[in-house]
Amino acid sequence: MAASSSGEKEKERLGGVSVMAGVGSTRERLLSALEDLEVLSRELIEMLAISRNQKLLQLDEENQVLELLIHRDGDFQELMKLALNQGKVHHEMQALEKEVEKRDSDIQQLQKQLKEAEQILATAVYQAKEKLKSIEKARKGAISSEEIIKYAHRISASNAVCAPLTWVPGDPRRPYPTDLEMRSGLLGQMNNPSTSGVNGHLPGDALAAGRLPDVLAPQYPWQSNDMSVNMLPPNHSSDFLLEPPGHNKENEDDVEVMSTDSSSSSSDSD
Amino acid sequence: MAAAVAMETDDAGNRLRFQLELEFVQCLANPNYLNFLAQRGYFKDKAFVNYLKYLLYWKEPEYAKYLKYPQCLHMLELLQYEHFRKELVNAQCAKFIDEQQILHWQHYSRKRMRLQQALAEQQQQNNTTGK
Repeated sequence: MAASSSGEKEKERLGGVSVMAGVGSTRERLLSALEDLEVLSRELIEMLAISRNQKLLQLDEENQVLELLIHRDGDFQELMKLALNQGKVHHEMQALEKEVEKRDSDIQQLQKQLKEAEQILATAVYQAKEKLKSIEKARKGAISSEEIIKYAHRISASNAVCAPLTWVPGDPRRPYPTDLEMRSGLLGQMNNPSTSGVNGHLPGDALAAGRLPDVLAPQYPWQSNDMSVNMLPPNHSSDFLLEPPGHNKENEDDVEVMSTDSSSSSSDSD
Repeated sequence: MAAAVAMETDDAGNRLRFQLELEFVQCLANPNYLNFLAQRGYFKDKAFVNYLKYLLYWKEPEYAKYLKYPQCLHMLELLQYEHFRKELVNAQCAKFIDEQQILHWQHYSRKRMRLQQALAEQQQQNNTTGK
């Protein structure tokens, strides 16, 4: 009686056990299979011990337990194989992950290098562009050295930018056109057609300066040159308010009144 | 008036205008003349100021090569500023500019004289040590 009731309990337990076999991770399944095996083998040993003592044949239960044991063992073996395969797969996965990490770091390295290269190229391109700009600028303002030398000659020979070596205070020569020169120029002559040369105006000054020959010459080199004969000024737009009359009016006033005002100041300067 | 109008249209007129503008722009190098213009109120006339702006074309190399007194270009640039035009009414301002201009004008000849003096002194020293 006790044996049969224990057998029923066993079946329940074993039924419960076999239900659990299909669920859970491999590890859990393995562990549960091990437990089952443990339980089953214990049962079997108990039953064998009891039957040896009692000498009763309980073949059915023993057979059942044996079958279950064998079944469970089979499951256990399968699970072990599965675990082994899973282990291999896991190893492979780890190896692949390592590979992936390596590739990742390679890619990052390449990315860094690429960024550096891009920066270097960008600076190189920028500097090249700057150089090209300055080349263009230089080319735009290119003047032949001969012209420059000629010009330098012209402005220094006439003492326009460098004082004559014998200059002393009191010398009427100036780095700008003096009123004498201004009046004898085209601007002055335009509104004073009656005066021929400047002999009538300030002969005293001219003689004192010892520049009589210059004074006699009606044209100064600063007014017009042979080479400027074909030169034309830029066309002016109608920007000025009262352009043509204003233009002439200035010259008229300047030339006439200049003679009384600044003639004193230019000879006064020490 | 008719002459002025004719001056603008035909070629000979333009050449004449070129000479006139050449003379006028160089007259601007004379600070006394600038003072004169300021005192007569020319710098207050908008048309005159526009004319000064127009005259800036003399800065281009193809025109600048005809200038005998290149200082006029600097004066022209300064004249574009109203503050400068206002200051020029004072005679002291004009006198100051005049003095500075003349001093600068003498700069190179003074430098050359100093170099010549230094050279002469050196030669004298060489002669005395040589003897």
